[in-house]
Amino acid sequence: MLGRIWAIALNTFREAARIRVLYGIVVLVLGSNLLAIVLGRMSMHEEQRVARDVGLAGIALFGSLTAIFLGVFLLYTEVQRRTIHAIVSKPIERWEFVLGKYLGMAIVLTILVALFALAMIGMLTWQHVGVSGAVVKAVLLAWGEVLTVAAIAIFFSSFSTPFLSGIFALAMWAIGRVTPDIEAAIRTGSSLIRSVARVALEIVPDIHLFSPSGRVVEGTAVSVHADFVSWGYVGLAWVHGLGWIAALLALACLLFHRRDFA
Amino acid sequence: MAVIDVKDLRKTYRTPFRRKKVEALRGVTFEVERGHIFGFVGPNGAGKTTTIRTLMGLIRPTSGSATILGHAIPSRAARFRVGFLPESPYFYDYLTIGELLDLAGRLFGIGAHEREQRANRLIERVGLAHARSQSLKKFSKGMLQRAGLAQALMNDPELVVLDEPTSGLDPIGRKDVRDLILELKDQGKTVFFSSHILTDIEAIADRVAIVARGQLQAHGTPSELVTRTRLGVDVAIHVAADANVDELTKSASRVRRSGDELALMLPGDADVDAWLARARELGARVIAVEPRHETLEDLFMKKVAPEAKRDAR
Repeated sequence: MLGRIWAIALNTFREAARIRVLYGIVVLVLGSNLLAIVLGRMSMHEEQRVARDVGLAGIALFGSLTAIFLGVFLLYTEVQRRTIHAIVSKPIERWEFVLGKYLGMAIVLTILVALFALAMIGMLTWQHVGVSGAVVKAVLLAWGEVLTVAAIAIFFSSFSTPFLSGIFALAMWAIGRVTPDIEAAIRTGSSLIRSVARVALEIVPDIHLFSPSGRVVEGTAVSVHADFVSWGYVGLAWVHGLGWIAALLALACLLFHRRDFA
Repeated sequence: MAVIDVKDLRKTYRTPFRRKKVEALRGVTFEVERGHIFGFVGPNGAGKTTTIRTLMGLIRPTSGSATILGHAIPSRAARFRVGFLPESPYFYDYLTIGELLDLAGRLFGIGAHEREQRANRLIERVGLAHARSQSLKKFSKGMLQRAGLAQALMNDPELVVLDEPTSGLDPIGRKDVRDLILELKDQGKTVFFSSHILTDIEAIADRVAIVARGQLQAHGTPSELVTRTRLGVDVAIHVAADANVDELTKSASRVRRSGDELALMLPGDADVDAWLARARELGARVIAVEPRHETLEDLFMKKVAPEAKRDAR
């Protein structure tokens, strides 16, 4: 089983490594880090803050957008181009195929996040800013966010077109990032609106858990520039993310299992 | 025990928006015996590919049953022992032939050393050694078909299922595929293949099934299917360019005259000796006389063409 999942993951990695857009995204991230240096110089003694904020935002933003871009095509194109015919006719279960595709994409995204983080560390070093434990935690959280978003994208890709999957995944990501704000905003609404919003928020992963900087966590304001979240928080956020990844992949496997490849 | 046993297989689709029913398979039943080459023939939209995809677990049947090597479909255990070439095969075009075979080998759980050896052997066998370093993107249709055959044989299967294996191939490529199928039979493997090219099927198949409109129209050995009744006699003669041959062509059909050569078909019950004697009297020289029996193509046209024409209207 592991061998077959690994074979699909390896092939997915090979496929992604040949997508030129990914190299464009890497260049874009490197460019945004250079921009952070310029913006830092323009700010009034806020070089460190700008450097960390731009670097970390770059990882989460570009990482998540890349996850959506790769994820929405992942299963759809296999069916559309009929490449899947020569694969699922071999002794591989469809769920193994879905897991292999996700694993391959996760490897690509992990490498991208590592590259983005290295670019940020390079920029921080250039700015004579040390890499604090808070920055390491923030990078790990951003990585968790990217992998969760990838699972959202692959879930939609198991039954929908890339265009619709992209819209759904973007919406789910955006809502997941601001669920506390939405909750706060609907407290003043009618009971019907509150009930509907509560159900809607239940079916969206709490992606905001991966970007706690600037929020109040357990009664304390946390910031990547000062007091940040504990390692325990990072672990819990990952458990939440992994739970969603497992649930979304299970649903994707179920939907993919029922499909006809005509 | 039959290698493939299909009983009353049905598949009904619904169109995306109007939810209209489309019956792709309407109770297909047949068996394929071990060691046989089984030809599956039918016009476009007859249900050949749907049957094959259902057998290979790509499509779920609406009703009916099928077993492959004793396992009810879809069966992973059976797929370990089956090689499959899809119709107009699409592969990951960024891979080389070696990488494609390596992927196939991994999915069958073949060890690294054995994978490499089998891949090298198959690349040589299908004549793609010269294209080893090229990505599949640069392959012609014929080369892709050969690559598809190689990946279908990677697991040294007991049963080989080929959907239109000669499609898109030139005459040399078609002969290569026919030879490969015969070679597989010699190795004791069972081959189930579909084709539009009736001469290919007639040349190598032990048993043939003709399918049209989702139903089996005929099933048996080629000699069982076609009658041995003489349909006519093909005759070719040399005559003087200005000779009047009206008398000779009176009872004939398919008359073609090219310069001093006359080709025609006499009716099956014609007195050929008398006709040839009269032709010689008129100064003709006989080039060839060949009785014409029913072919698979004749049977196919008889069974399938009227319905196909009706559908076209």
